Amino acid sequence: MRKVAVIGTGNFGLALANLLAINNRVLIYARRKEIVEKINSREIHKGQNIHERITAVNDFKELTDQCKLIFPIVPSSNFKDMLVQLSPFLTPEHILIHGTKGLHIDVDIDKVDRLDKTQVLTMTELILKETSVVRVGCISGPNLAKELSANQIGGTVVASRYNEVILAGKKALNSHVFRVYGSNEVLGVEIASVLKNYIAVAAGMLEGMGYGDNSKALLITRGMAEMVFFGKAFGSSEKAFMGLAGIGDLMATCNSKLSRNFRVGYRLAKGEKLSEILSDLNEVAEGIKTIKVVKLLSGYGFNSPIADALYKIVYEDWELEQGIEYLMNLPVSDDTDFFTQTY
Amino acid sequence: MGNRKTIKKPLPSVQPKMDEWPIYKAYNKKEQFLEKVKSQVLLNSSWINKDESTLRYEIKNILYEEKMRLSKTPWKSDNPKEKIFWSEIKQKIRNSKAIENKEGTKEIDEKILDDIIEFYLNEMVANFKISSFKFAQKALPYVYSRLINSFPQIVYKLFSSVDKLYDRMKIVGDIDHIRKLQEIGTVVVVPTHYSNLDSPTIGLSLNNLGLSAFTYGAGVNLFTIKSLSKFMHNLGAYKVDRRRKHRLYLETLKSYSTIALTEDVNSLFYPGGSRSQSGKLEKKLKLGLLGTVIDAQRINLYNGNGKKIFIIPVTLNYHYVLEAKKLIDNYLKNKGKENYMEDENTTSFGLIKRAYKVITSNPGMTVSFAPAIDVFGNKVDENGNSFSNKGQVIEVADYFKLNGKLVRDVQRDSQYTQILGDKILQEFKENSVILSSNLVAYVAFQIIRNRFSQFSVFDILSLPKDETIIKVSEFLPKLEAVRTKLKKLAEDKKIILSSDLDFEGNKLMKIGIEKVGSSHPKYVLRLNKKDEISTQSMKLLYYYHNKLSSYELEEQS
Repeated sequence: MRKVAVIGTGNFGLALANLLAINNRVLIYARRKEIVEKINSREIHKGQNIHERITAVNDFKELTDQCKLIFPIVPSSNFKDMLVQLSPFLTPEHILIHGTKGLHIDVDIDKVDRLDKTQVLTMTELILKETSVVRVGCISGPNLAKELSANQIGGTVVASRYNEVILAGKKALNSHVFRVYGSNEVLGVEIASVLKNYIAVAAGMLEGMGYGDNSKALLITRGMAEMVFFGKAFGSSEKAFMGLAGIGDLMATCNSKLSRNFRVGYRLAKGEKLSEILSDLNEVAEGIKTIKVVKLLSGYGFNSPIADALYKIVYEDWELEQGIEYLMNLPVSDDTDFFTQTY
Repeated sequence: MGNRKTIKKPLPSVQPKMDEWPIYKAYNKKEQFLEKVKSQVLLNSSWINKDESTLRYEIKNILYEEKMRLSKTPWKSDNPKEKIFWSEIKQKIRNSKAIENKEGTKEIDEKILDDIIEFYLNEMVANFKISSFKFAQKALPYVYSRLINSFPQIVYKLFSSVDKLYDRMKIVGDIDHIRKLQEIGTVVVVPTHYSNLDSPTIGLSLNNLGLSAFTYGAGVNLFTIKSLSKFMHNLGAYKVDRRRKHRLYLETLKSYSTIALTEDVNSLFYPGGSRSQSGKLEKKLKLGLLGTVIDAQRINLYNGNGKKIFIIPVTLNYHYVLEAKKLIDNYLKNKGKENYMEDENTTSFGLIKRAYKVITSNPGMTVSFAPAIDVFGNKVDENGNSFSNKGQVIEVADYFKLNGKLVRDVQRDSQYTQILGDKILQEFKENSVILSSNLVAYVAFQIIRNRFSQFSVFDILSLPKDETIIKVSEFLPKLEAVRTKLKKLAEDKKIILSSDLDFEGNKLMKIGIEKVGSSHPKYVLRLNKKDEISTQSMKLLYYYHNKLSSYELEEQS
C-alpha cells in the first residue's frame, strides 16, 4: 500500500488524513511531540477518531524520505515558516497538494495602505518560491472538517497545472464517501477558496440579522460574481468559480454554522466585538484578513462592493444596516456580468 | 560561477580532434541517425496509429497540404523532385483503394507514412565536413570583419581588420564555465534574434569560445545558391520549411532535434522564432523546439548515460540593425498579427546582397553569454551540478520520477518547457547589454512621447519633424535620470550596462547619437551646431528605443 503524508493536525488536516487512510498508509506530521504520542496511541484528537493506518511523526526528513506525495494543511499565516523548515528535505520528485484556503502576504498588512500583486502569493506560488518542488496542486471544495470526519459523503477538487498531480490526488483520495474531481484552473481554484471566506462572513451577518434564504441567495450569487471579477483581474478564468471550489464551497460555508467565518459574521450581527470573537476562536478566521487584503488590492480595478461594505463594517465601525443600505443602493448591472467583464 | 570576462581572441578548441566531435560522429553515421529519428517520430505520434481510418485521413490531409503549398507558395528552393514524390504517394493511395475495408490497408498506409517521414528526413538532414568547417573557421573572421568594419579599406588592411574585429565585436560571459560544461555535457545555445546577421555573429562567437560545432535549423529559403547551400549543409545546418505546419512534419522536426541532442550534438535554436520586428526583447517564446531539450534530457537519463544538457541564453546587442526599417514597418503594419511568411523573399543571394550593403560603417556589437542553466532553468556549477533557487543541490532525474521511476508524461513536460521558456526570457532581460545607442534612442523617444502624452504611438510616429526636435538642455537631464535608474537595475543584476554608459553625460550623448542605427540612409539621431537633436525617422527611433521598453523605466523616469 502506498504511503502518503499530511502536514498539520488541525481539524481539516486530521479529517483529510482519515480520508487518505482509506486507500493509503498515512504519515502525519505534528509539531508538538505530545500530539504525536496522542495520535499514535489512537486517542480521539480534536473530536476525531484516528484511523489505524495513520502514524504521526515529528521529523520532516522521515516524512519526506518515506512519502513523495505530501498534503500540507497548515494555516496561511504559518505556511511559509513550515516551508522553510521542510524545504531542505524536498526534491523535485515530491508532489505537494496543499489544502490551505488563504494567501501569503509578504508585508504586514496593518502597516501598508496598498498592496502590489507581487506581494501577494497563493500557496502554490509560495511553494514554488520556497522549495525545489514543481509539481504542485491544491485541494479545495465544500469540505467542512466536522462533516468529513463524520464520514458523510462529499466531494472536492484537486487543481494543478500537471495532470500527473491531479491523478495522484484522485488516486490517493477518491473513495466510496469522497468524490475527487480534477481541474487545471489552479489559480482560479485558489482564489475562489480564499475569497469565499469573506462571503461566508457576510452570510453569517445576514443570518444573525434575521434575513432569510432569498437574501442569502442574492449574497451568494453576487458574491460569486465578485470572486470572478477578482479572479479575472489576476489572470484566472471564470471556470473554476463555477465548480466545487467556487459555488460548491460558497453553498456550504454560507449556510453552515460549522464555518468559522460564518460564525464571526453571525456573532458580529449579534452585537459582539470583533476582538472578543477572534480571541474566542481557536483557529484562524481567514475571511477577516481577506477583507483587508481585497481592499489593499483595489488599485487593480476589480469590482468588489461586498468586500468594500465589509471593510467599512469591520474596520471603520459602520453599522451592519449601513452596509446593507450601501449595497442595496448600488446601480444594478447585467445578471451574469461576470462572463462578459474583462480587465 | 559568475566570472564574466571578455574574449580578446579565439580560444583553442575544448576538443581539438574534430573527428571526436559528436556532430561529426552523428552525421558520419547518417543512416543510423535517421533511423533513430524515425523511431522517435513514430513514438511521439500517438495519433498516427489510432485506427485505420485516422491514419488514412492523416495521410490524405498531408498530401492535400503539401500540394497546396507547392501550388500556392512555391519557392525557388523547392526540391524539383518533390512533385513527383507526392504524385507517387497519391498513386499509392489510389491503388490501395481497391483493397480498402479489407485487411492490409493499414500496412500499406504505414509504409506510405514511412516514405513520407523518410522524404522529410532526407530533405532535412544536415552534414558535417571537417574540411568545410576548417575553411569556415579561417574565412569567416575575414568576411565578417569586412561586414562590420569601415569601408572603403584597401586590400592590405583586410588582414589587420581581423584584429580590429574584436574591438568592435565584444564577446562576454562566463567563458571558462561554458567550456567546462562542454566537456561534461551537451550545450544548447538560445540567442535573441534581431537580425539576419545574428547567425554569422553567433557562429563566430561559438567558434571563438572553442566549442565543438553546433547543429541548427535554417530556413529552406536560405538554400537557394547551390554552392552556399552545400557549404551550410556541411556545417551542420538542417533544413526547416516554415510553410509546413502539419503535425507529422513538426513532429519530424522536433524528433530530429531530440535525437541530435541525445547524440550529444551541440544545438542552437532561436527560441523567439523569427527576428524581433519591434526591436523589443522577446516576450514570448515558441516552445516547440525548446521542448526537445526536456525530452532529450529524459531519454538520456532513461538510457542510463545521464548526460546533462546545458542551456545558454545569449543576447546579441547591436548599435545598428541592418534590416531595422523593414522590420519596424512590418511590425507597425501587422501589430497584433504574426507574419509567418516574412522571410519568403529572403534568399541566400538576397542575404549576400544585403551583406554587401552593410559594408559601410558598423559601430559594432556585444555578444553576451548568460550563465548556463539546466533544462529546468536551474543554475549549474562548474561540474554541471544543478542548484535550486535556495542553493540546494538538485538531481534532474527527480523531475521525471513518479513513484520512484522515470516516467514519460507529455503534458508534464510541456509545463516544464514553459518553466524553461520563462527562465530564458528572464535571462535575456538580465543579460542584455545596454549600449549608449539604446539609451539615447530611449531618452529621445520618451521626451517626444511625453510632449504628446495623449497621442497614440502611431500618432507620435507621424509627427512633423519640427515637433520632434530636442534641445540638448532638455535631453541631458533626462539622460542622467534614466542612467541613474539603469545603474540601480545593474546593481541589482537586472541588466548589464556597456562601459560607454560610464562616460560623462555630454560624451555619452554624442557617442550614442553617433552610433545609433548609424548606417541607415536616414539618420536616427543627429546633433547640430545649435545644440539641437533631431531625427529623420521616428520609426527607427522607436525601434531602437524599444530595447529598453521592457524595463518599466517610463513610470519612474
